[in-house]
Amino acid sequence: MADAPKSAAPATKAPPAWRQRRYLFWLIPLLLLPLPFYLGQYKQYVVNLILVYVPVGVGFNIVVGNLGLLAFSNVAFFGIGAYTSGVLALKLGWPWWATILPAGLMGGLVGCIAGVPALRGVRLFYLAIMTLAFGELLRWVYIRWVPVTGGSFGMSVPKASINVFGWPLPTEGDKFYAFLFLAVLMVVLTDRLLRSRFGRAFMAIKGNEQAAAAMGIPTDRYILLAFAWGGFVVGVGGSMYAALVGHVTPIAFDLAELILEFAVVMVGGLGSLVGSVLGAAIITAAPEFFREWPGFQEMLFGVLIVLVILFLPRGVASLLARVHPIFIDRYYRD
Amino acid sequence: MAALLELTDVTVRFGGLVAVDGVSLTVSAGEICAVIGPNGAGKTTLFNAVSGNVAINGGRILFQGEEIHGLTPHQISTKGVRRTFQNGGLFPHLTALENVLVGLHARVDSDILGLLLGTSAAKRAESAATARARELLDLMDIGHVADHLASDLSGGQQRILEIVRALATEPPLLLLDEPAVGLAPHMRSQLVAIIRRLASERGIGILLIEHAIELVMSVADRVIVLNYGKKVADAPPAQVRADKAVLEAYLGHA
Amino acid sequence: MLAVLPQLIVSGIATGMLYALIALSVTVGYRATTVVNFGHGDLVMAGAYATFVFVGSGLPFAPALILALASLFLFGVLTQRVFMQPIINGPHLSLAMMALAIGYAVRGGARLEWGSEVVILGRPYDQGAFMVGSVVLTMDDLVISGFVVALLLTLAIVFHITPIGRLIQAVFQSQRGAALVGLNVHAFHGMMWGAGAALGAAGGVLLGLLVPLSPDLGVYTLIRGFAAMTLGGFGSPFGAVVGGIVLGMMEKLLGFYVSTVFIDITAYLVTILVLLIRPSGLFGQRATVRI
Repeated sequence: MADAPKSAAPATKAPPAWRQRRYLFWLIPLLLLPLPFYLGQYKQYVVNLILVYVPVGVGFNIVVGNLGLLAFSNVAFFGIGAYTSGVLALKLGWPWWATILPAGLMGGLVGCIAGVPALRGVRLFYLAIMTLAFGELLRWVYIRWVPVTGGSFGMSVPKASINVFGWPLPTEGDKFYAFLFLAVLMVVLTDRLLRSRFGRAFMAIKGNEQAAAAMGIPTDRYILLAFAWGGFVVGVGGSMYAALVGHVTPIAFDLAELILEFAVVMVGGLGSLVGSVLGAAIITAAPEFFREWPGFQEMLFGVLIVLVILFLPRGVASLLARVHPIFIDRYYRD
Repeated sequence: MAALLELTDVTVRFGGLVAVDGVSLTVSAGEICAVIGPNGAGKTTLFNAVSGNVAINGGRILFQGEEIHGLTPHQISTKGVRRTFQNGGLFPHLTALENVLVGLHARVDSDILGLLLGTSAAKRAESAATARARELLDLMDIGHVADHLASDLSGGQQRILEIVRALATEPPLLLLDEPAVGLAPHMRSQLVAIIRRLASERGIGILLIEHAIELVMSVADRVIVLNYGKKVADAPPAQVRADKAVLEAYLGHA
Repeated sequence: MLAVLPQLIVSGIATGMLYALIALSVTVGYRATTVVNFGHGDLVMAGAYATFVFVGSGLPFAPALILALASLFLFGVLTQRVFMQPIINGPHLSLAMMALAIGYAVRGGARLEWGSEVVILGRPYDQGAFMVGSVVLTMDDLVISGFVVALLLTLAIVFHITPIGRLIQAVFQSQRGAALVGLNVHAFHGMMWGAGAALGAAGGVLLGLLVPLSPDLGVYTLIRGFAAMTLGGFGSPFGAVVGGIVLGMMEKLLGFYVSTVFIDITAYLVTILVLLIRPSGLFGQRATVRI
């Protein structure tokens, strides 16, 4: 008879009871539906911005949280998504809704490119520096490829193009419904992927790459898949960003943006899907409140990340998980 | 009967060092073959060569009559050569059940599109795999810790879990790298029983590295002794015990 | 075309010296703690602002510079001991983010204080130029190169001759060995992190001679420092210096002979290509893992 486990930490168990109640999560978007009737344009804009950062955080989390690779290329996926939508809408006259999928696909493609060094065995700080350089190179392209991107001044997304099957989205409230749909869709799809053998493969690679390969997992292919899916989801976020803000400029995709996105996944909880959504809500709203004092939000983020790493290394999601087991993310672990 | 695994003159060099030097050996189905030798004799390197983690510089490795050297670790694993790791190759942040599910990876017939769309076929494949994984854990008496993190299990449970995981796809050949290290005596005898059962009941060929001489002598059908990368003996346990070269190389120190 | 070659090389070396200093400053902290300080650029920036503050308080340039470097040294030691050391065995992502976040907070502080004004550090010498043959040597080039060379020589002497330097060398070789001979490894980590910060700050001051100060001064310089480290071989102090100088020259040469775009993107391309093709750089160790 095998002996008893060393400890029986409740958080490590996934009691079947709550697993049956996953449908309760659908209440969250349902409860949000009436929001536009209560919020003014500006507050609704902030809420929409949060919805933009939901896929951005969720996609980022796949690579850094679930796959566990130190890649700094997320802003590149975000930017390419926004630029793809912008260029298609402005230069080719496509309606916004038709640009969402191409934006995601471009994000996925750039994700694959950013994942290549990882296949060559580049890891840790080397991978971080390399992906950082890659992201900056891409941003340089936005600045210099003026005929397509509009250079430093960027480009405006035509207001008329922002529609869904011809149905215009003139107000923030209208955009909210489109964004809510996309954000929920990305979360649901990613959740399905993470709970399957694909997600398990990512986490196996994170835990022990050699052992994962010994279990018959083609690690190269799965690393690329994680980058590609992460890139796709973030690219969709980029497309939403283009529609929300209405103009796409290189400065929106600089290193400060990278730190903001890191803050989303770190504060929310590395590897946690629930955490990424929470992180988006907490981090995205914050800078909007501190617009008046430039510099203050940087200090705030800096201090916030330091505090989270020191005192809440598993992010806000770990607090929520203590409230009720339904919030325990199955794949939210170190 | 043809050998399951057949190594012919396998040589592995690291720079100037010859870690494995012209080793030939065979393992048949249902046979338990132990590799022993002093530290640095090349045992783990030999294992790594078979599992594809180390490239060989000479010789050839056949599995079921097919060349497998030059394949990647996951390809070799998919062909049916599964291994455990010396320092524990479990995924500590996954539960015991999930560890076995990763072991079953290649057997889960869910394609990515089906999963994203949430088709019932994909869901069925996933839940069938989960059921199978629980069954496998139960078979080895560790079903009650299925939902615990691997890192929370006791040493013995971790060893057994690693074997369950390796066996999940019912491979014909199993490589065990020091499975008994750090185990309490009663766990060792349990392990011996499990290894025997796998060989006799399921006909799995087992190649194992072990330092615990008593365990080797009690479980192995054949013992292969390595010294400085060379094979110095290959015989049944009793015969190896009496071999002079072995005594000098290894048992003399023990 | 070839007539300008000596000029390009000379100004490339001068720029490269700056990169070399930044690269070396990151390398010092990295070699001691095995953590890359992703927030280092902001310490570079802080060095320039600190000097500006001390000069503004009425001090002459030299003492102001020394005080600024000492402050950054202390800041480096403190942040390493208080924030980095407690998580030193944690995941790499936390370490990278911790360093980045500290730098970010510093940058925010600088922006809060000086973000809306143009801050000029000013040169403590007359701007001028000499002709040596057909090559124009500016005072800026001379001062920067001279300062960096003097600093490197001093460091080389300290490192190779003094007992402290030998101890540092020993720890670079083997941390466990150092602990065995009774060295306080934690204190050592802090000191080296501080030394890296001070060296980076010196780079920031040199940079501040050339351009107006801004809170974002250090960030993009750091990327060039990383490129120099990668080129020279990650973790090699000698490689960092050589990599910096070579990078500086490459920017100028490619920028002139091939296309001006290379002034901007040489650093990025170098980082990516070196890590893909020859991860150990010129003088470093393997930078990739075998899977």
